[in-house]
Amino acid sequence: MESKYNRYILAGLTVLCIALMGVTMVTDQWLEPLRTGVGYVLIPIQSGVNKVGVAIYQQLSDYGQLKGAIEENRRLQTEIDRLTEENNRLSSQQFELQRLRELYALDQEYMQYQKTAARVIANDSGDWFQVFRVNKGSADGIQVGNNVLAGGGLAGIVTDVGAHYATVRSIIDDSSRVSAMALQSGDTCIVGGDLTLYKEGRLSISDIKKDGDVKDGDRIVTSNISTAFLPGILIGYAADITVDSNQLTSSGYLVPVAEFNNLQEVLIITELKETKDPTGETP
Amino acid sequence: MKRIAINLALIIIAFTIQNCVFPLIPFLSASPNLLLILTFSFGFMKGQRAGMFYGVLAGILLDLFYSGPFGFYTLFYVYVGYINGICTQYYYEEYITLPLVLSVLNELAYNFYVYVFRFLIRGRLNILYYLKELVIPETIFTVVTTLLIYRLLLYIGRWLTEFENRRDTTIV
Repeated sequence: MESKYNRYILAGLTVLCIALMGVTMVTDQWLEPLRTGVGYVLIPIQSGVNKVGVAIYQQLSDYGQLKGAIEENRRLQTEIDRLTEENNRLSSQQFELQRLRELYALDQEYMQYQKTAARVIANDSGDWFQVFRVNKGSADGIQVGNNVLAGGGLAGIVTDVGAHYATVRSIIDDSSRVSAMALQSGDTCIVGGDLTLYKEGRLSISDIKKDGDVKDGDRIVTSNISTAFLPGILIGYAADITVDSNQLTSSGYLVPVAEFNNLQEVLIITELKETKDPTGETP
Repeated sequence: MKRIAINLALIIIAFTIQNCVFPLIPFLSASPNLLLILTFSFGFMKGQRAGMFYGVLAGILLDLFYSGPFGFYTLFYVYVGYINGICTQYYYEEYITLPLVLSVLNELAYNFYVYVFRFLIRGRLNILYYLKELVIPETIFTVVTTLLIYRLLLYIGRWLTEFENRRDTTIV
């Protein structure tokens, strides 16, 4: 008798889950109160545990890094000398650029977006997906579809928002697709995450037109025609570009600028691309 | 009531550790799936109904963390609770072999479920790579952790029984 009831419960739950999946594939707006409610309980716990964990980890790694730091310091000093020199040169070029811009009335400036900083409080521990959670949410102006930056490059896109947290899918996730272009030549391409490349720290670049001029080491930025990503954000550098076997397109790899191994702080751009497609690119 | 509260707390702690602590440990290339261990242990120790109950809880937590169709994880965890609940008739406290075998089977089933519904349907056919790089390391870690967690659950269960017995005697 007992097991018969259990079977009914199981059947009921199965139907419920499948129905929920069906409904949420179309829209999951109505889930936000639930997410926010659970968030009120979970986020303080996650933040707290994360703070303790980070503190301990920091202590350990600080000690380990002390030895390397001296050597690094010397190296950085020479780097500073070089950069100072370069900065002098660049700032004079900057003035020249400004003059030319005014001349051409070129008002499209990249990277002038409104940003807010957030701390990563939870990661997916399994290896199948590359998603993480940050401690800012809709109360701080974050919306689904906001672009996320880390270490000077694109890191991901917000896929879910609660009042005080947001879930971010990073660009190295297997299902991530970013419409991109080469900065020099303007040739468009698709930057996709791939689980089989992730351990080598690379992403895949595909769909470059065969006569497109993308060389190894070219800067790849988000493209103007992307539906979900604001234009001009640096993603990384192209590597090993080869012509595909179909002789129509080229493809290769991309070395991302953002470090994904130990993300702790990210910047979230609180502007949305105007097409407002929150689901990200479709391949 | 007390048992449920403690088990609920265990699930939340497991979820937090899994998402906040394991990713910080740099040498851990794979990490054990604590929620899966808890769900199948509860099913195995307490029976189908308890297994399904804790399966729903664990699944909802995961579904809230990931975006995508809501219910994807809940569905799987409910079945983990139910199916492992069938084996509850073979449950003896000191019998550790069966839980370990179940742990391996559950872990393989979980990874297979994720692979088929999230990767295979997008045309990612390289199953051997995923098996070698993700599934086997995670399974090994999970089995080792099962040894610890299962002992811990047994200990908590024994302690609770003792506690309840003592309370009964004082009332009488």
